[in-house]
Amino acid sequence: MIKNPTVEMTDEKHLPQANVPFDQIAKDLVRTTTHGGKTIRRVSIILGVLSIVGIVALIVKLITQRDDSTQWGYVAALVSFLLTVGGGAPMVAIAPVLAKANWVRPITRISAIFSLTGIATLIMTIPLLVVLPPLVVDGTRRRSIWFEGPNFSPHVWDYIGILGLIITGLALFYTAAIPDFAVMRDHTTGWRKRVGRILSRGWIGSNSQWRTLRMRIGMFGTFYFLILIFVHFLFSSDFAMGIVPGWRDAIFPMYHSITSLQGGLAAVIASLWFIRRYFKLEKYIHIDQFWSLSRLLFATTLLWIYFFYSAFIVFWYGRGGADKAWIDLLVRGSKEGIGPMGWVFIFAGIFIFIAPWWWLIWNSVRRSINGPIIAASLILIGIMLDRVRIFVTAWSVPTEHIHDKYLMIIPQTSLPSGLDIMIIIGGICIGLLPILVISRVIPVVSIWEMQQFNLLSKPVKYMKTHGVLVAKPD
Amino acid sequence: MPKQSLLGLFEKADPAADAMDSFNEAGFKLGSFDVLTGTPYPEGAFGEHVPQHRLFRFPAFGAIIGFTLAIFLTAGTQIAYPLVTGGKPILSIFAMLIIMYEMTMLSGVLATVVGIIFESRLPNLDPGVYDKRITEGMIGVVITLDDDSRKKDAEDILKKSGAFEVKYS
Amino acid sequence: MEYWSLNPTSLKVMQQKRNLSQIHTNKTLLNGQLNTPKWWAPTVLILGIAVVIGLSAIGVMVNKGLGVTGLSRPVYWGLFITTFVFWVGISHAGIMISAILRLTQAEWRRPVTRAAELLTVFSLLTALAFPLIHAGRPWRIIYYIIPYDFARGIYPNIRSPLIWDPVAIGTYLTGSTLFLYIALIPDLGNLRDRTTGWQNAFYTILALGWRGNPRQWKMQTVGGILLSALMLPIFVSVHSIVSWDFAIIPSVEGWHSTIFAPYFVIGAVHSGVSAVVTMMALMRWLWKWDDFIRPEHFDALARLLIVVATAWLGFTFLELLFAVYGLDAPELALREMQLFQWPWNFLFIIFMLTAYIIPVTMWLFKKVRTNIALMFWTSILVNIGMWLERFMIIVPGLARKQPFVFTWEAYRPSGLEWLILVWSFAWVTFLMLLFSRFFPLVPLFEQKESQVFTDDVKIGRASVPAIIREID
Repeated sequence: MIKNPTVEMTDEKHLPQANVPFDQIAKDLVRTTTHGGKTIRRVSIILGVLSIVGIVALIVKLITQRDDSTQWGYVAALVSFLLTVGGGAPMVAIAPVLAKANWVRPITRISAIFSLTGIATLIMTIPLLVVLPPLVVDGTRRRSIWFEGPNFSPHVWDYIGILGLIITGLALFYTAAIPDFAVMRDHTTGWRKRVGRILSRGWIGSNSQWRTLRMRIGMFGTFYFLILIFVHFLFSSDFAMGIVPGWRDAIFPMYHSITSLQGGLAAVIASLWFIRRYFKLEKYIHIDQFWSLSRLLFATTLLWIYFFYSAFIVFWYGRGGADKAWIDLLVRGSKEGIGPMGWVFIFAGIFIFIAPWWWLIWNSVRRSINGPIIAASLILIGIMLDRVRIFVTAWSVPTEHIHDKYLMIIPQTSLPSGLDIMIIIGGICIGLLPILVISRVIPVVSIWEMQQFNLLSKPVKYMKTHGVLVAKPD
Repeated sequence: MPKQSLLGLFEKADPAADAMDSFNEAGFKLGSFDVLTGTPYPEGAFGEHVPQHRLFRFPAFGAIIGFTLAIFLTAGTQIAYPLVTGGKPILSIFAMLIIMYEMTMLSGVLATVVGIIFESRLPNLDPGVYDKRITEGMIGVVITLDDDSRKKDAEDILKKSGAFEVKYS
Repeated sequence: MEYWSLNPTSLKVMQQKRNLSQIHTNKTLLNGQLNTPKWWAPTVLILGIAVVIGLSAIGVMVNKGLGVTGLSRPVYWGLFITTFVFWVGISHAGIMISAILRLTQAEWRRPVTRAAELLTVFSLLTALAFPLIHAGRPWRIIYYIIPYDFARGIYPNIRSPLIWDPVAIGTYLTGSTLFLYIALIPDLGNLRDRTTGWQNAFYTILALGWRGNPRQWKMQTVGGILLSALMLPIFVSVHSIVSWDFAIIPSVEGWHSTIFAPYFVIGAVHSGVSAVVTMMALMRWLWKWDDFIRPEHFDALARLLIVVATAWLGFTFLELLFAVYGLDAPELALREMQLFQWPWNFLFIIFMLTAYIIPVTMWLFKKVRTNIALMFWTSILVNIGMWLERFMIIVPGLARKQPFVFTWEAYRPSGLEWLILVWSFAWVTFLMLLFSRFFPLVPLFEQKESQVFTDDVKIGRASVPAIIREID
């Protein structure tokens, strides 16, 4: 058959993204802030209650188990998970924006909103700082990236780092949201209008305002990326590597950062899928976004195995005492056979790498709406398991062994207590709650980015076929 | 009657696309006419028959073969000459993985290259009617006829659409 | 649905310098093949002499034995292995440019891809020569790779990284060569149409009867993407495996580090892309391709290099930091030597200045990024630095091998080794020039495709460059 555009183009997979008029975009997206009021309120209340339960559990744990750092692995795993997923998500939009990709415009807002999960990270890190051993333990200085630094360097600087990351993330989110607050100011009523008026800070869309806006997004984006890598470096080396004797693993901070990109991508795909369905944004979140994101997700699954294997082969081949201890503690979970953490590792590997890899290798899966969400969910579960594997085992090492050359005895795997489970659920709820709340104040898809998307790309007829013409301004 | 090919040369892409349309309308067999260009155009730009291909099967097939061979090679040679080195097991899966990986990829690439050449229908020993100016930016519309009966029609269509020259094989 | 109307024949009106006719493109880009430039023969002759001198040096070494080199207890891996790693690093240019940029649809990659792939092939060939030279008795290295005595059933030890290396490099070399050839077919068809006599016969055979119908073009596009996706994992694995030659050894201080694999890969990309910049500048000057290799290509590559170089610096930092992190005395002593003792401290400063500080600082300015001469020199600086990096990784660790080694002799490469190093550069350039006599260095069809797919659109009063993307 001769390909007849008007006949074959009915299938969504082959339709270009609709070109929507400017006013329609504003109307549709502003509507999302009031959509599903009651349900969202109910869900928020549930999340709020669970968050409070989590915080109470955290306080109880802090009071009862303050002296025993081996009990804090699950909290550390939770913080790492929040930092990985919530901290990595804003990054998803930054890199393509800096590369001037057009497809990324509909997802910039939702990924930037994830910087709000930083609130949960900030809260959950506090007790960890209390239980993290200082640099000088029993009168002897332990190995750390701080060498001869002041005694509480990790405690102070890691927290400042996380704080800096969150502030930069919020700055990025807010800067890019100013034009939309102005839309809210102009097109809503009541408290939303008031909030819009205050937060839009007199935005009128003048040429100079747009110029500064673009510059600020580029600047905060770059800063965010650099701080993110740095915070992962600090957190992974102080809260995992530093407390295990003999663990000297230069790639581990990078491994932690790479999974952060992967987790961030997965979180963004999952939330995109959800808001597309719930807010009926089919016109704005097109199959192209899922396609592009799932390609990146596929690449990060490969990076995960690459970074893991790069460390693994060195330890496996080296066969020194410290090398063997690393494999026994962090991969096998036991000196003989496969321990409980060994199984956690195997499942983490299946969820992070094997299953999503085999799933995303198919173009028809990547180029679909429901395909990527499955991979994304698997990866999110897998990353949690991976964090449990790393942090629970690392924290299970008793402090009295901290000065050993390497770990001679592999400690017993600690199972999560009721308090730990409450804290983990609560921590994730604290992360999700602000996202839900902010969706009432500002659209989850950026109005001005969407308008620009439609300005810069349009379907074109090209001789007998058609394509999308994407303008690339400097 | 031997098969005969006609080649119409066009200076611009649009009239060439019109010629393709006219052939279709005049009821010439699909796949008997084709467009030759010196540069890739967006798929379907000439309203041409969009070729189907099975290229994606080739790397999968190659990878499976390479992987199987690699297992036999790595495991087989180690078992055939079981010498323990560095305290590692004879069947060291993590070392074997590296060779297996490379051989899988190599075999996948080889199969893909074969696939590209095969699916391009190359090597083409009898290229048929052609003009050197196609690689200088001219557009060629070529039609292959089973016999002489519609030769005149075809030539008319090419000329009417704006071909400045018509060549015969 | 609203469509922008677009008329391909009127497309090019708004583009000034980019509007090049296909005849002009053919004539300019095939100038190396259709009429040999005047400088070509003398240059090739001089390089040929250099190659012969280098080969003679290798011959002397094979005849006299490794004693003519500076290799001695305890440093047995010296300049040859450094240069091997260096050339493997350079080879990462090709796939980086042509696969990653193809997959990300970066439009500016087009004039660069072929030359980069070519650099991959020739630098890999050169890299492969170095372990052979280094072995002293090159014919015996075959025993490592191929089962050599079926009667006794002795097989290569696949657990050894020295086997992983040739397997990985062989895969990469085969893949790159085929990739290069596949993308060359349309241009071979073009050359066939432009030549007569024996040349015509030569290109006719190589072009396999290329006609340029939609099926063939589609295979070029789809196949190119597929091959890129397949070559990318190989590309990453090759330098990782080279790095494991060092990293898996626990007994040499400074080598047993988990970060080596990605650190080597990113360093390879840094040096490889810089080498592409060097080569592009040369191509622009030698063949006068000002219309095709333009300042904006240098600009784009320099921006990419800033990112790559900074990532590489991060890895360098992590490598150093976690080396001293363990606070093991021998490791600390090694690092002290590497950073603070003559002549290593001098080399280290040169290495830092040339690999990162000078070039990246300069690339921050757009004036530098679009200045071809400056880009040429800064990219050469990077490769001086990256060669030193490999030297600084390999030799100091060996020079202080064990606390109880009775000799801590420093390693001084002999004149012969330097001669062989120089040979490798002459050899790669020689091969490139030889290739350029017969095949175009800039892919013509990619260049023309770019004209079909790009356009300027009016948004308000502004004219903005735009690209047509096909809907899958």
